Amino acid sequence: MIKLTKPLQTLILGIFVIYALTPVYLVILAAMRSEADLFSGPLTMPWPPNWQNFSRVWGDSGFSVFFMNSMKISASVTILVVLCAPPAGYAFAKMKFRGREPMFALFLAGLVVPAPSVIVALYGNLQTLGMIDSHIGVILPQAALLLPFSIFLMRTVMQDVPDELIEASTMDGATPFETFIRVVLPVVRPGIMSLILIVFLFSWQEYLLPLVVLQTETLKPITVGAASLQGRYGVDYGGIAAAGLIAFAPLVVLFLAMQRSFVRGLSAGAVK
Amino acid sequence: MTSRTAYFFLLPALILYSVFVVLPILQVVGYSFFDWDNGIIGQFVGLNNYSRLGSDGVFWAALGHNAIWVALTLAFPLMAGLLLSAILAERNSSTIRWMAAIYFIPRTIPLVVAGIIWGWIYNPLFGLLNFVLDSVGLGSLAGAWLAESNTALLSLNVVGAWTFFGFCVVIYLAAIQSIDPSLYEAAEIDGAKWWRKFRDITVPLLKNSTLFLGLYAAIEAMRFFDLIWVTTQGGPGYATEVLTTHVYKTFFLVGDFGYAAVLSVVLLAIVLSISSISFWILRSK
Repeated sequence: MIKLTKPLQTLILGIFVIYALTPVYLVILAAMRSEADLFSGPLTMPWPPNWQNFSRVWGDSGFSVFFMNSMKISASVTILVVLCAPPAGYAFAKMKFRGREPMFALFLAGLVVPAPSVIVALYGNLQTLGMIDSHIGVILPQAALLLPFSIFLMRTVMQDVPDELIEASTMDGATPFETFIRVVLPVVRPGIMSLILIVFLFSWQEYLLPLVVLQTETLKPITVGAASLQGRYGVDYGGIAAAGLIAFAPLVVLFLAMQRSFVRGLSAGAVK
Repeated sequence: MTSRTAYFFLLPALILYSVFVVLPILQVVGYSFFDWDNGIIGQFVGLNNYSRLGSDGVFWAALGHNAIWVALTLAFPLMAGLLLSAILAERNSSTIRWMAAIYFIPRTIPLVVAGIIWGWIYNPLFGLLNFVLDSVGLGSLAGAWLAESNTALLSLNVVGAWTFFGFCVVIYLAAIQSIDPSLYEAAEIDGAKWWRKFRDITVPLLKNSTLFLGLYAAIEAMRFFDLIWVTTQGGPGYATEVLTTHVYKTFFLVGDFGYAAVLSVVLLAIVLSISSISFWILRSK
């Protein structure tokens, strides 16, 4: 049996740091380079960095538009989910009503539904509704597909709200809706923050739905834009790398800044 | 409190979910029993569309690849996450925070972008992997990783693992930190070394997290699409075809609506049975 000594443990930790960060380093490197060839030459960061790839991709290849589309879609999806999931999670956590168990099971089943398996019917429905090639046709289904996870998270969060708080508010003559807005929501603010971050992240990363729903170039989000750039300019590695960086840098920064919130939200479902 | 109040709170979510998730699922199930001609629904044909599954070699290959993907995910990123979090748990809190953050970064990168970056690493002409192999004298192992059918799926799984192991670390760490430290202290008094403590305390007490992550990995392995689509599109040949890409191609490229619906139903049936079986196991304990 090998002995897992302290230095060996540190080595293992280090190897996985390299595994995690090498691809990230490479894409930054490629984005900062002017040469057409990608990794020939030294693997050190060029100095001073070359921002040409960014300005070219941002302007000429339309990434400012893709970026704004991603912003618009992800923000709308997040708002929609935040309007729908907390009240539903509250109902499942704190209210007794007919059909509670089957209804919760219905949402729970949605946790595992693969988007590609609903797309066959969803595509036709969106056509009927006149939502193909429009942002609303991406936003509504995406929010709906994120609801099971969001409701599950909100239910877990709402279960920790003390019953006495709700009862006291009801005693004071508040309607259930007033109680929810004035008493419950302020208590679960950290949970809502986690929800916002995670939904925004998932929505920003989404590829399949916008790929099939949107045809007009100027409507596409950044994931679809980056993938199509790869097809169009197969050899413009610097440009593709810059595009990729624009696509994920905001997410990495957001995650590092709000790490606690993310982790709380992601592990909430697993612990219970 | 009346039921009506509860329904009022549930209504927005219920409407959105019913229209854009539940309804399409019911429709897909319905579509799978009909004959389709150029996207127009035809006659009811019962199970005729389903009978094609048996002779569809691509379907069985795809199913096999999904199964391999599940097995590889359980074997590598899940185990790595378990080991890493056990090692990390003994370090100070700022090390824990930073390392967990670094390990989680790949998960924040859209799979589309991850696929592009790793495509470069695997590139036979200028890719980093062959370059590194060459420079350490293992040039004979270099290859066209994503273009050869015996390495493509495994190479892509390394990318999948890259995005997943940090998530495992985060989940395991949350659970490890709730283990009673006196258990470890007692073991140390008995002279137990690191490996013994890991095997006899950490691993058994993390069983629930392992079950959760295993279930999550299995479901994700059935659902993933983006990574395959931006790298190999199921190729070379059908070497990396999975159920989702098979559905996508059958629907959008072949236009075979009836059979695409059948494949969707099969995919749904698989994920729903995986989740209900594990739910049942969790409940019965």
